[in-house]
Amino acid sequence: MSLIYKRRVNHLSPLDAFRDYWGEIMPFARRIDRKLFVLPLVVLKSIEWGIYRWYKTPVRRFYGVRGNELIYMITRRCTDKCAKCGIWENPEAPEDHIPIACFIDCMIRLHDNLYQVTLTGGEPLVYKDDVLLIAREAARHGISMVTVTNGFLIDEAFLMEYGRLGHILVVSLDTMDREKWGSFRGRDHYDRVMGNIALAISILGTQLRIQSVLSRESSDEIPAVKEYCEAHGLSHVIQPYMDFGGYWHDAAPYTSTSESCAARKNICIYPNGDVVKCFDHHRIPLAREPLGNIVKEDIVTILCKKRATEVSRIMKGCDLPCKRLSCNVPKAIYNA
Amino acid sequence: MTLDRSRAMTALIVPVFIRTDWDLNCLKRLLDSVADQSLPFGQVILVDDASPLEYTLEHDNIERIRMPSNGGPAKARNAGIAKAVRSGANYLFFTDHDCILDSRWNEEMSRFLGSTSFGAVGGMTYSWGSTLLDYYHDINGTLNGKWLLPERKELWYMPSLNFGMRSEVAEDFLFDERFPTAAGEDVDLCLRLRSKYKIGFCAKAIVRHDFGYPSTIAGLRRFIRLFMKYKSSSATLYEGHTVLLWDSSESIYEGNAHESHL
Repeated sequence: MSLIYKRRVNHLSPLDAFRDYWGEIMPFARRIDRKLFVLPLVVLKSIEWGIYRWYKTPVRRFYGVRGNELIYMITRRCTDKCAKCGIWENPEAPEDHIPIACFIDCMIRLHDNLYQVTLTGGEPLVYKDDVLLIAREAARHGISMVTVTNGFLIDEAFLMEYGRLGHILVVSLDTMDREKWGSFRGRDHYDRVMGNIALAISILGTQLRIQSVLSRESSDEIPAVKEYCEAHGLSHVIQPYMDFGGYWHDAAPYTSTSESCAARKNICIYPNGDVVKCFDHHRIPLAREPLGNIVKEDIVTILCKKRATEVSRIMKGCDLPCKRLSCNVPKAIYNA
Repeated sequence: MTLDRSRAMTALIVPVFIRTDWDLNCLKRLLDSVADQSLPFGQVILVDDASPLEYTLEHDNIERIRMPSNGGPAKARNAGIAKAVRSGANYLFFTDHDCILDSRWNEEMSRFLGSTSFGAVGGMTYSWGSTLLDYYHDINGTLNGKWLLPERKELWYMPSLNFGMRSEVAEDFLFDERFPTAAGEDVDLCLRLRSKYKIGFCAKAIVRHDFGYPSTIAGLRRFIRLFMKYKSSSATLYEGHTVLLWDSSESIYEGNAHESHL
């Protein structure tokens, strides 16, 4: 891995706790104008601080702010072998692929809180029928859906139904150069994918978006992709390259920022039903193990675990480069 | 939209759950302060959330709604909002039964909403009692709103015991009835409300809140339980508003109550 987590963020030391305490107490103490009361009031403030810091509340519920994104890695299988991505190298065994009903139950359980469900992979359209099942249920429950695909398995029947449901289809496209296609994608599918994109444009219109990964390897290619999108009136999203086991390189060094990371809004499901708050969870020691599995437990029960809160809290201060990805951008829809 | 405060109709909505004589005495004390307003409310709506204690009130001009079952203050307030909006109220104000309104409270709140473009407003809350614990809350700003930093031009949230909003804001944003107790439902409302409107601070709209501490020592248990309840609601809010809780804020207390640059 090229990325190193910040140990200090994830392991708060007693000194960090003291700093937190001191930061609360000092501004409070300065407000007290009656000197005799400083000590007892600071004691009371310490009690309040201790409750907020240490008291583990039993009350945990979910309610109507649509502030969460449910991201389902429906499969690790893929029709391509992209150099930028290593997910396809470890496809799940058939017994590790959960029944689609489990995921749909999970989505329905959370639907009041979701502003979007996102299907990713691998290549989601390997399970095209399942994708449409999810798309119908998402539409029935008023959830926007985004499916990220390499475009290879798109067909007219899928596009017609998917488009009718009003969802967004995102096709990955890193080059317009037929000669480079094979080295980027690991397969020579240029004609088929570009034909499918043309078909998708005609059926989906603005429901189709193009996504490119910006890396040292693709940086010269992306202007042509952008030009293609502009010519066809398509929305074009550029994501910085992240090391998910591939062999590309980041186009620019990551500049650390103090902005909070929004990854904790995400609820990510692996093909086997494991739940994590971020697919990059393995870089954070406390988050390495999944929070639970939707086949074995109710999703709300999983998310209400003490560790789920602790992982969310840690992610708020997470400063890994993946903070720049669109899945980590804050977003919320409000139920009026 | 601004309205001439003399023409604006104000509605005061008070959710009540009367369990003890102390609750009832608090309510009567509140209604006395309501009757003593320099600018009378157009409508006073008392929403009884299926109180276990039977009681009668001698105060005039109180419209009572009796909820069929106990559903929490959020649900009770929403019932009051529906009635006030149907009656054509322009400004909807909220307080609790254990509060005492300053005699100019309605006038100041109405003036504020009538002369600014804020969608909602919060006032200044002090403790009613005189124990050290009450003094602590005043210094701490426990039941006051929070400034949105760094400008301190608007509020991040305002507790519902000293709160008001325009009727069109209330129609857009109701209280979330899934909050079962009086903790967190007002913060949740303010966080949602801020997606479309701003919350202003009116330092002259003063409410005194009775925490019910018999003495500093005897009230300590109640003090601890209060913050345990707030911590519980904080965890709920944390999950519901993970994206929204990043704004830095500071509690209002006497020392910074007049730093507003309105």
